[in-house]
Amino acid sequence: MSVLTPGRFSPTTAGGGKRDVGWMTWFFPAWYAVFGVIICVLTRVTPPPRPDITAADKVAFFNQHHLTIQIGFTVLLILLGGAAMTNGLVAYQMKRMSVGSVFAYGYIGGMGVGALPGFLLVTVCFLTAAFRPDRDPQLISLLYDVGMLSYNGSLGCFSAAYLVLAIAILYDRNNIFPKWFAYVSIWQIITEVIATQMFVFPSGPFAWNGSIAFWWAVVVFSVWLVALIMLLRKAAAAESADEPALD
Amino acid sequence: MWVMVLGDLVIFGGYFIVFMIYRSMNPTAFLAAQQHLNITIGVVNTVILLTSSWFVAQAVLCVRGGDPDRAVRLLWGGAASGVAFMVLKCYEWYREIIAGQTNSDMFYSFYYVITGVHLVHLLIGLIVLGVLVRELRTPGRGRVWMIESGATYWHMVDLLWVIIFALLYVMR
Repeated sequence: MSVLTPGRFSPTTAGGGKRDVGWMTWFFPAWYAVFGVIICVLTRVTPPPRPDITAADKVAFFNQHHLTIQIGFTVLLILLGGAAMTNGLVAYQMKRMSVGSVFAYGYIGGMGVGALPGFLLVTVCFLTAAFRPDRDPQLISLLYDVGMLSYNGSLGCFSAAYLVLAIAILYDRNNIFPKWFAYVSIWQIITEVIATQMFVFPSGPFAWNGSIAFWWAVVVFSVWLVALIMLLRKAAAAESADEPALD
Repeated sequence: MWVMVLGDLVIFGGYFIVFMIYRSMNPTAFLAAQQHLNITIGVVNTVILLTSSWFVAQAVLCVRGGDPDRAVRLLWGGAASGVAFMVLKCYEWYREIIAGQTNSDMFYSFYYVITGVHLVHLLIGLIVLGVLVRELRTPGRGRVWMIESGATYWHMVDLLWVIIFALLYVMR
């Protein structure tokens, strides 16, 4: 693929880009890196803890990771707005497309709706569970389930955002993003439709730690995210520095 | 479009591999559950979808041969077959659910998820066929590469069904 050609991203070979857009383009992977550290290393929600364990095991999970959950999720509460900034960058590039602003607004709205159950609810649930560790184990168990189901199972909220992104790319005549990225976005919709099965299965391939519902979807999401980061850099570099500001 | 087709085949390949792994862990239960599937509906649906692919392939030939009107009619034929497949699939789901074959059984959870994801692909395929009809009807358009790309996608949906049919209905 031509995206992999060396030197393709060098700003000097293309329009040069705008400085503020360039900064946001660097902020995008930086924010996701911090987010990755928080969810994987500190709060331990990814890779997901098991859904098919007893209430006592869930209490033990919160006791074991008590401090890191509190540190990680309180930091995330402050940084959560960064997700909106990364969405704004994608929407900015979408507004440069020939399709008009409506898809960009749809993307921002869809991603914003998804962020509430996708990030915020698990944060509040886990912080509440860690807040009083001596609570009734059944209540701790409930917060564990609500948090994980909301975090992993609510991804369908993002599918509208992926859909408008895919349609905008396919209709765009300014070639801001390559057409194949529209198809990768459509795969995302498919995997997130399957994620709804987590609400039915406490174990097996369709559970929230299942091979199909979770792990295979993570592979597709990783491909999507890495491609998006590269394409945002390319789009920023291809924009002329003296291009007039968007409405 | 080849990025879509090859990548999608890889994604479905992942589902098939996981299905085979779970099947190998409990072959007797999977085989017993499989007996409740109505293979006649499966065969009819396979024939319907293969027919739709024939319509779409003929439409591509017509576009190349400079006969867009006939191509549009053939695309309608392909879309009608696709709709017939969906109707029959919904009836099959209805039949299975009434008979108590729900996703509480591992085989049937795979059955509903895999055929459901395939149905979503078919729905996208119907939208694609609509885009192709619009392309052919717009004066001064009718780009051959676009018709070929859409047809490639439709054939992929067909190919996936043939594999699903073999894995879920036929394999003993």
